[in-house]
Amino acid sequence: MSSNPATVLLEKVSKSFGEFTAVSELSLAVSAGRIFGLLGPNGAGKTTTIRMIVNITAPDSGRIELFGQTITPELQDRIGYLPEERGLYKKMKVGEQLRFFAELKSVKGKEVDERIDHWLARVKLSDWKNRRSTELSKGMQQKIQFITAVLHEPDLLILDEPFSGLDPVNVGLLKEIVLELKRSGKTIIFSTHQMEVAEQICDDICLLNRSRKVLEGSLRQVKQGFGRNAVALRIEGADGVLDSSWLVTSIQHHSDEIEVLLAPGADAQQLLRSLLDAGATVSKFEMVEPSLNDIFIEKVSEA
Amino acid sequence: MTKFLAIVKREYIQRVRSKFFIIVTLIGPLAMAMFGVVPALIVNMDIGGPVRVAVVDQTGKMFVPLQSTLSRGRDGERPASPAGIDAGSLSRNTNESVQSTANQQKTKFQLQEVKVAEQSLETIKAELNRRVRDKELDGFLILPADLLENGSADFYGHNTGDFITKERLESALSAAVREQRLADANIDVNLVRTLSRRVDLRSIKVGSAGEEKDSGEGLILVFATGFIIYLTVLMYGQIVLGAIIEEKETRIAEILFSSVKPFTLMVGKLTGVSLVALTQLGIWAIAFLGFVTFAAKGLPINIPNISPLAFVYFALFFLLGYFIYSTIYALIGSMVTTAQEGGQLAMPVILLLVVGFYLAFPVIQSPDSSFAFWVSMVPFFSPITMVVRIVTQTPPFWQIALSLAIGFATVVALTWLAARIYRIGMLMYGKRATIPEVLRWVRQA
Repeated sequence: MSSNPATVLLEKVSKSFGEFTAVSELSLAVSAGRIFGLLGPNGAGKTTTIRMIVNITAPDSGRIELFGQTITPELQDRIGYLPEERGLYKKMKVGEQLRFFAELKSVKGKEVDERIDHWLARVKLSDWKNRRSTELSKGMQQKIQFITAVLHEPDLLILDEPFSGLDPVNVGLLKEIVLELKRSGKTIIFSTHQMEVAEQICDDICLLNRSRKVLEGSLRQVKQGFGRNAVALRIEGADGVLDSSWLVTSIQHHSDEIEVLLAPGADAQQLLRSLLDAGATVSKFEMVEPSLNDIFIEKVSEA
Repeated sequence: MTKFLAIVKREYIQRVRSKFFIIVTLIGPLAMAMFGVVPALIVNMDIGGPVRVAVVDQTGKMFVPLQSTLSRGRDGERPASPAGIDAGSLSRNTNESVQSTANQQKTKFQLQEVKVAEQSLETIKAELNRRVRDKELDGFLILPADLLENGSADFYGHNTGDFITKERLESALSAAVREQRLADANIDVNLVRTLSRRVDLRSIKVGSAGEEKDSGEGLILVFATGFIIYLTVLMYGQIVLGAIIEEKETRIAEILFSSVKPFTLMVGKLTGVSLVALTQLGIWAIAFLGFVTFAAKGLPINIPNISPLAFVYFALFFLLGYFIYSTIYALIGSMVTTAQEGGQLAMPVILLLVVGFYLAFPVIQSPDSSFAFWVSMVPFFSPITMVVRIVTQTPPFWQIALSLAIGFATVVALTWLAARIYRIGMLMYGKRATIPEVLRWVRQA
């Protein structure tokens, strides 16, 4: 974890609805200027956690700090939030709608118009400013909703499943914008259960399952700490070496390569040496990092 | 404050600009004119010319009196009461305002006498029947010789369903027979009229300062106030409901709540919709006043003699009534997910308003009773019952102020409750709340 000051800090935060515990004793820190992935399966407590951060619900116990202060309604203006449950006013024109959402964040005046034009151009929807939102396709509406979250130039941007239902071109466009915002110093909390996307853009992650935190750290730390050692191999000859070696726990045959999971404590170099000693022709020998997806599935099914 | 104004502005502008609002606003005065003018025009329509009636007068002396009572106007024609002489029907100058539909009808009668002399009654009837069938006549009346004693006669017509014609003939004949009987008994008809003049009882209010004013006209205003509240609630309640549900249906609620407090949102929405309502009512009021001043100068519309203070009270209690009922709609809106569900739940609200209306009657009779006091303190009824008390027997100021304060507190409490239920309801999308659940939510948040 970086040494940046924490933009968001949760200390032993719990929240339950009646009998159902949504979040239990959750502590986490989101560092300034980084993209923080809040990951977990459906119902893990991601949305509830976010709602507490944006001050929609209050925690039953624990403490939440934003920008080094205890949360207050005023701090809401410094947050941009794109919820998973999102929509637009059906009969309002796109431009008016964006202006309304900006005013709700206490931003008004001429500046708003300029920003609206800038952002509409950025997502290639300038021609749609004076159309009603019902005329927009679902993907277009989603891009407008994204603008509502960033229009007031928040210091903290919270995106809950921002790419769901978008085509690859638009996913690429929004991803690019998110990374740009990060470069300009914004802190971003990114919530998803799509691990491929998280793996591409997150710096730090926190994995939730059934209301509890199961994993936390920078993407690199998490992968290293996962303690899983796999090698992708393409070899000829040396039949039987892999099967009998004590270094190997399991072998998976793919179409043109073999994935070998090494035994705990085993050294990949030792395996390579023994293969060469047995006279094998090695055309590929690559250490495979576990994908976030693998980690996710293993951690979640473990619980 | 920026946020609050943004919500009010959005709510107001979006609604005022909608085609629905513009159409309804324009249709209002048109409907007013329609309902006010068209019925009168239709009733007064003169179609088909005079009603031609042949009279077979076997008494030999009733044709002329009948002709005179029939042409005289309503005084002579009104049906006799069972008691014999109806004093009211004989006095010419009272009850001017009471007019039956039949009397407004300007249909003329054309009577022709058929002598019985040489033909038999059967022959005459056969001949008259033929003439009715040939459309030469609309009907014929047979007055038996013992009409004055038995008081019964027969009318034959091709359109016996025309109750107006029947009623007019009947009352004219009654009047003619009655006057003939008086004349036969040597009693002066004019003397009877003078002697049986009705007593006119005026109601004059004794106020606290000893001044006198008529409370009858004030009561009309009470019912007008009540009726306007009723209409406004019926019209705008649904709109408030829709406005509250809008963010749920469009799934914007969560974005809003990440920016504003639910209470601000509720108050903003209510204010916005209310301004729309006031705009519409204002336009209608101007249209109505214009209509009264310019188009209908001749109409006998009296502006009731009410003190300016009472008008202020009416305005205050109208606003109170409007807000109490629209916050109930907001509360319903916060509990449901679709407008249809809300519509069903709103039915009892209308009932509450109707109860308030009926409570006005016992209050009119004894405005200073403790019953009247209590019902004028209950927020859901006070907009009607307190206004009744102000008009009939103005209660002490503290009671009016207390009633207003209770009402205002109710509005705030209901809005607060609605905001709370809304927020928690939003966190659990898509299911309708049961009452126990709602109570738990209220305690929770």
